[in-house]
Amino acid sequence: MKLEGEQFLDADPMTVWAALFDREVLAAAIPGCESLDQTSDTEFAAVVKLKVGPVSARFKGDVVLSDIVPGHSCTLSGKGSGGIAGFAKGAAQVTLTPEGAGVRLRYDADVAVGGKLAALGSRLIKSTAQKLTDAFFTNLSEILAVPETAGPV
Amino acid sequence: MTLHIGQPQRRENARRHLAGRGRFVSDLALPRMLHAVFVRSPMAKGRILDIDTEAASLCPGVLRIFTAADLNPRCQPWVGTLDHFAGMQSPPMNILAEDEVLWAGHPVAMILAHSRAEAEDAADQVLVDIEDAEPVTGGAPVLLPGAPRANEAADSNLCYETLLETPDVDRAFAEAAHVVEAAFTFGRHTAVTLEPRAVVADYDPASGALTVHHGTQTPYQFQDVYARHFGLPEGKVRVIAPDVGGSFGMKLHVYNEEMGAVAASLILGRPVRYVADRLESFVSDIHARDHDVHGRMAVAADGTILAMEVDDLTRIGAVSAYPRTSAAEGNQVIRLMGAPYRMPDYRGKLSVAFQNKVQTSQYRAVGHPIACAVTEALVERAAEATGCDPFEIRARNLIADDAYPHVSATGYQFEKLSHQACLARLREMMDPDALRVEQAALRTRGIYRGFGIASFVEITNPGATFYGIGGARISAQDGAVVRMLPSGDIHCAISVTEQGQGTETIIAQVVADQLGVAPERVSVTTGDTATTPSGGANWACRGAGIGGETALRAGRQLRDRILTLAGALVQADPATLRLAGGAVVDAASGAPRIALEEIGRIATYRPDTLPHGVDHSLTVAHHFAPVGYPFDFTNGIQGSLVEVDTETGLVKLLKHWVVEDCGRIINPLLVDEQIRGGVVQGLGPAFFEECQYDVDGQLTNGSLADYLVPMAVEMPDIEIAHIETPTQDTILGAKGVGEAGTAAAGAAAMNAVNDALRPFGACLTQTPMTPLRILDALDAALKERTAP
Repeated sequence: MKLEGEQFLDADPMTVWAALFDREVLAAAIPGCESLDQTSDTEFAAVVKLKVGPVSARFKGDVVLSDIVPGHSCTLSGKGSGGIAGFAKGAAQVTLTPEGAGVRLRYDADVAVGGKLAALGSRLIKSTAQKLTDAFFTNLSEILAVPETAGPV
Repeated sequence: MTLHIGQPQRRENARRHLAGRGRFVSDLALPRMLHAVFVRSPMAKGRILDIDTEAASLCPGVLRIFTAADLNPRCQPWVGTLDHFAGMQSPPMNILAEDEVLWAGHPVAMILAHSRAEAEDAADQVLVDIEDAEPVTGGAPVLLPGAPRANEAADSNLCYETLLETPDVDRAFAEAAHVVEAAFTFGRHTAVTLEPRAVVADYDPASGALTVHHGTQTPYQFQDVYARHFGLPEGKVRVIAPDVGGSFGMKLHVYNEEMGAVAASLILGRPVRYVADRLESFVSDIHARDHDVHGRMAVAADGTILAMEVDDLTRIGAVSAYPRTSAAEGNQVIRLMGAPYRMPDYRGKLSVAFQNKVQTSQYRAVGHPIACAVTEALVERAAEATGCDPFEIRARNLIADDAYPHVSATGYQFEKLSHQACLARLREMMDPDALRVEQAALRTRGIYRGFGIASFVEITNPGATFYGIGGARISAQDGAVVRMLPSGDIHCAISVTEQGQGTETIIAQVVADQLGVAPERVSVTTGDTATTPSGGANWACRGAGIGGETALRAGRQLRDRILTLAGALVQADPATLRLAGGAVVDAASGAPRIALEEIGRIATYRPDTLPHGVDHSLTVAHHFAPVGYPFDFTNGIQGSLVEVDTETGLVKLLKHWVVEDCGRIINPLLVDEQIRGGVVQGLGPAFFEECQYDVDGQLTNGSLADYLVPMAVEMPDIEIAHIETPTQDTILGAKGVGEAGTAAAGAAAMNAVNDALRPFGACLTQTPMTPLRILDALDAALKERTAP
């Protein structure tokens, strides 16, 4: 399943880039994230609780960042197992392009799901994935916006 | 005397079901019973690296968790091959996946808990680490040398292949005025029974007896399977199949989960219940069909069919089903091609390929819908090529009703069929000339209707050459014990089983006629290996033809006993007596001589008053195996009228007709309902039902939210007529009828859709004929018409 989209973020590229590698920012931004551990500079172990239609599961998985061009682009690949609910795996190419005072983030992802999640949720999976992605960026925008509104100049 | 055979007797057990008093395995609860839930592979193919059950084992209510290492050794693995399918291979299968997982849904661990809910919660905590591998999910290239294998234990993806041909087939094609051809794809679908698969296995360590309450159509087969695979004496194994909420062939295969329940009960010494939920049914019940067929037909200038050539590639699971194999369907596909026609020459090639999906195997009308759809679609093309109309080309080619016995180009022997009479009757019912006028008028208003017809032959009443010859322990004979109670009531225990089709009702009708009583006085017991004689039970449309004949012959033996005893009592020659109206009567005058209850009273309570040496036993046992022809073929023809919305691709099914010849009709009410149900199960996969897989081998519509089953609102009125050509191989003369509706409904509907789309030059050759596929066909035809 292909997912693609873009999001304008009102922050400078390096702030956004740093946020994407910041464990605390990610943990706060990922919907349903129960824990996120950084296991190396480019690797994270995550536990995420998700609900796709009638299937609700806790996914345990690893995310690896690669093809890193600092401030510009990287690839996130990951695989998560949700027990009897099935599994999800995929990779996303993320690109940042400066635009005015902010940055446009573009992603192209290829995601596969299996087990009960596929059997039961395939009709819902794309809309759910889109909803989760939107939630992630909304959360990210809010986190990035905080210092500018609350912090002293 | 046939007072009751042929009458529309109501189904006695329907009253019980309507009152909510059905007795299903799903509802059974035994003391100390444990509930089983299976952890399944989410991947279609891969290697198990680790199964961590520790967290699950600490969950509330969990009693035991099994993995392959501790469960499989209790069970002899099973192998789904038959000796008469020369060269067939299938790797052994056991309850839980050992190293490799072979399809998404393959059980890898089994949890036993005090409730299903607790077992499910624990299943959520089992961590299975599977290194996934590229699954085999594709078509023809999987058979190329060196292709990745679906099952590493097989030496290739080819499970079985065979070729049938007549010597002159190439000449027939070379000399034909026209050769028509097409490539067809028949999607996968599944049974979707109202009651899912259910089993309660109950091993009693004190007596060493295993009782398995099993929602199956073949209890004796499972008695044998459980005895052999678990090393138990057959006499210690009892299988009880009470009410079964639909089976359709799906419930006669050996499944990992049922074997798991038995193994767990043997190990734990407690009853173990497993009932599939609807989601599990989609990834564990056998699927059906999944064929790609390329077909050609050679036709003379006058429309005479000269020959057919077909190549069928059917994709099964990663192993062949047991004990009937996954090759029997393809085998029937290539043998039923062109069966209704005089066609002298034929070549049929079959390839059965492994892949990483749910197993396919026998389901209602095994192979028939494929053979019928291919044949009848090619006949339509032949009609078009030679300028014949659909009725005319069939009249020219169907075997004449007086030309029997006849041997088909594929080697099937037909005792006597009635194709021409059925065709003539269908023409009267459909009035095709009026339909053509209406079609033309509606087309001018942008309404596209079409009708199609399809002749068929159905295999029923198979003898031992069907499975027995291949080494399978599957019985072709049946047994009945018929006895008279002291009151004069009759009881019949018989090996054919009841899944709602009315087996018990027709058996009562048959027995009643032999003994001169009303069917209400005959009670029938089925579905318990401890209380009924061994037999084949229900599959391949054998309940009426073989079970009915068994009951008839047993009933006649009891009749003779009663008449002999009565002769001694009333001092008359038994040859001058007969049974009628619940009494022994004078054969010539019909005058009552002695009531059955009086005979029962004397035989049971006062045998001392009988003359010396008179046998007072009023119980007989009889077994009957089919003799004569290897099968009793039936025949018929179906018609379909549809309206296609060319803007949306939606099809309205307006009307369906069936003319069917199942030999002697025992109960017209039940025969008609078998045909109607069969037609619906033929139209379902023609328009709605399909198990859709993605390239990763994931079933993507495995719930009733996404998998479409036909419902009453979509179904047309189904008008049915009969021709009766009893078989001479039995006294009763009945053949089977359960699969006739399914055999040709889809074929007739496909011809109807294509007739509706004819003005556009569009043609469907894939099922189900979904709105999208219809729009794609219209689109492709438009592109072809407008191409430079």
